[in-house]
Amino acid sequence: MRFEFTPEESEFKSQLSSFLDDALPADWHGPADESRDDHWELNQEIKKGLAERGWLVMSWPKEYGGADSSPMMNTIFAEEMAYRRAPGHDRFGTRMLGPTLMRFGTEEQRTKYLGSIARGEIQWCQGYSEPNSGSDLASLQTRAVEDGDDFVVTGAKIWTSLAHRADMMFMLVRTDPEAAPHRGISLILVDMKSPGVEVQPIVNMAGVHSFNQVVFDQVRVPKANLIGQLNDGWRAGMTVLNFERSGIDYAAWARAALEEIIEHVQSEDAVTSTKSDPAIRIKLAELHMEVEAARLMCFDVAWRQGKGEIPSSEASMSKVAATEVYLKVLDYGLELLGMYGVLEPGSKQALLQGRIFKMRLFYTSGPILAGTNEIQKNIIAQRGLGLPRK
Amino acid sequence: MDFGLTETQELIRVSAREFLEDRATTTTVRAVADGDTEAISSLWNEIIELGWQAMTISEEHGGAGLAFSDLAILLEELGASLAPTPIVESSISSWVIERYGSDPIKSELLPQIASGGVLITPAFVERDASWQTESTKVAATRSGSDLVVTGEKRFVAFADQATHALTLVRTDDDAPTLIVIPIWKAEGVALTPLDHASGVPVSSLTFNELAVPEGNIVATGHEAVRAAEELVAAGGVARAAQLAGLGRAVVDATVEYTSTREQFGKPVGTFQAVQHHLADMAIAAKQVNHLVHAAAWSFSRDGYSKVAAAQAKIAASDKIANLCWTAHQCHGAIGFTWEHDLHLYTRRALAWKTDYGDSAFHKSRLASAIGL
Ligand SMILES: Cc1cc2nc3c(=O)[nH]c(=O)nc-3n(C[C@H](O)[C@H](O)[C@H](O)COP(=O)(O)OP(=O)(O)OC[C@H]3O[C@@H](n4cnc5c(N)ncnc54)[C@H](O)[C@@H]3O)c2cc1C
Repeated sequence: MRFEFTPEESEFKSQLSSFLDDALPADWHGPADESRDDHWELNQEIKKGLAERGWLVMSWPKEYGGADSSPMMNTIFAEEMAYRRAPGHDRFGTRMLGPTLMRFGTEEQRTKYLGSIARGEIQWCQGYSEPNSGSDLASLQTRAVEDGDDFVVTGAKIWTSLAHRADMMFMLVRTDPEAAPHRGISLILVDMKSPGVEVQPIVNMAGVHSFNQVVFDQVRVPKANLIGQLNDGWRAGMTVLNFERSGIDYAAWARAALEEIIEHVQSEDAVTSTKSDPAIRIKLAELHMEVEAARLMCFDVAWRQGKGEIPSSEASMSKVAATEVYLKVLDYGLELLGMYGVLEPGSKQALLQGRIFKMRLFYTSGPILAGTNEIQKNIIAQRGLGLPRK
Repeated sequence: MDFGLTETQELIRVSAREFLEDRATTTTVRAVADGDTEAISSLWNEIIELGWQAMTISEEHGGAGLAFSDLAILLEELGASLAPTPIVESSISSWVIERYGSDPIKSELLPQIASGGVLITPAFVERDASWQTESTKVAATRSGSDLVVTGEKRFVAFADQATHALTLVRTDDDAPTLIVIPIWKAEGVALTPLDHASGVPVSSLTFNELAVPEGNIVATGHEAVRAAEELVAAGGVARAAQLAGLGRAVVDATVEYTSTREQFGKPVGTFQAVQHHLADMAIAAKQVNHLVHAAAWSFSRDGYSKVAAAQAKIAASDKIANLCWTAHQCHGAIGFTWEHDLHLYTRRALAWKTDYGDSAFHKSRLASAIGL
């Protein structure tokens, strides 16, 4: 057992931290994750900076431009980025598609795509969910019909984060409608500029444009863009999801928000303070523990990955714990801000620029996206604990 | 005990629901949130025709003389529809004036509130956003037969629509004083509109050496403290009633959505995880409903139960916003969009839970009321 970072890990963390000191504007408060549209320029700039330092794909093998860093190092990277609310993280390319290509892609595909992801040049988006296929992803209906050297794709994807900024999409399509649902799906890569692709923006409840509906009308996609075998896309597609399902961003966002709230309640502006009510100390301390508990869940996942395990149930646990604790922190923050808590960002007299309110609305999505927390709990109960399915 | 509604209450419920379903749709709610004040006044004018603003005002002063519990039934429907209209503001103000005001001020103001000529809203909290009477700092200095008022009140709902504000001030001799201040286009009154989650107009009001005739005083000293306490208690129960209605509406909408949205070849409402979410939501909505009825019933001519009033607002504040968050979870991504109406309910619930004392405030009141 050892509950501290190695000297090498600490050194990296402080290098990243000072890079962010320079890269982020002086009065930077976020909020930002890479799916948001409101800090796009900064996002691109930081992504380039991370790529130049080799940090963007640190955990990839050396042959693909990475540094063979441990999953632990990768988690330290994600934690620091999220803790600083820094944009520039490329979840779709570096965390999801890259590792999938390494495992399922052809040599040609790897050469073609991995370099540009490592250099932070190409923005990817993930076309999985459809209007009628959310939790039950295997029921997806977007059709890809073989026609000469191409697939012809028709259908609609929805909730596609960043589709409006993306150059390329990795998407799941139905290639065999006769086969059992999981057996007729393929994973393909689509150029977003192809004729017949239409991106329709969707604004979320926080008033931010982060996701979209993407409609495909007879879009021609070269067969060379098929990843893995035809009709075997489910396996490759699920690999992506395994990389997606970590809670570390949320645990780090929770810590950042908690610290911001603690600082606020001790400030002059505070309407409720630890001085006025001892119960606030107790509650903040409870949350402090909860945040650390969620954080350790996430580092446990990294530790297991480092030993070569595939910690599916633990990853689900970390996702549930971290998304939930983040909302608990924000809920309590709103409570402490009292009537000021419900002023929208930009309002006169708002405290903390209305950030806590906006983040609370925005991160309502945490327990929904990347597999809802109900689905995660099913995984924990069934795969993790071995409870009977029927 | 009798949990049933009276005939009058049934009538109020049915007719309110019918009117609001037609006239206060979420299209109106969105328009008002986007700054359409016309929509507020046209709805308010229709409501005046219906006489809802006069419901609890005594017959002697031109009202219908109904009970607070009758008002609560109306407020549940208003909450369920999110109607952007100042019924709570008006009713709570007239309620307090009727109980604590002098005969002249009652005969002067109440008939005008009842007829809709006067729209009055409470202006209570200040910079520290506290509903504690002791927090009042806005100063009123005597000058002849006037009080000259200076200072800022914050979070005043419908201040841009109201003709008058029922305001708590502190006089030279350090006495809390409840006073009616004419604010409509008044010189010496400045409005700072806030962008508030409720989606209705909420502003800060700044008084700059505003002369108010002393005849506008409703209560002073101990009486003012008692009046202010009742204002917060009644306001809290009124908001709790709206929250109860809002919660019920969200439960209904979520039952409907999860009964029709299919995944894995069946409605998502067949999954126990979803059913348990809904069961929890339903329990919360029912509990709030009962506590609201008990609290509203306790308000009579002679007094009210401090315990019941605090309990109702605590429960409504704690449980209804939570219920909305669970509803988002049950809706999945569709309920996370701007276009879907669910966030309108959530925003309103979040705003209302802070109004007329939040949960922590009423817990502290409850603790005192039960002798802790
Ligand atoms: C902000 C945001 C960004 C997103 N970005 C992307 C993206 O980039 N690409 C992409 O492909 N998708 C994206 N998604 C979609 C996301 O993956 C889906 O929202 C998610 O899979 C849930 O599907 P759904 O929204 O259709 O909900 P539904 O599947 O309709 O679920 C509704 C409710 O039923 C419950 N439920 C469903 N099945 C079960 C079950 N078997 N047991 C218990 N409960 C169940 C759910 O937990 C939920 O509470 C995003 C979503 C959000 C909110």
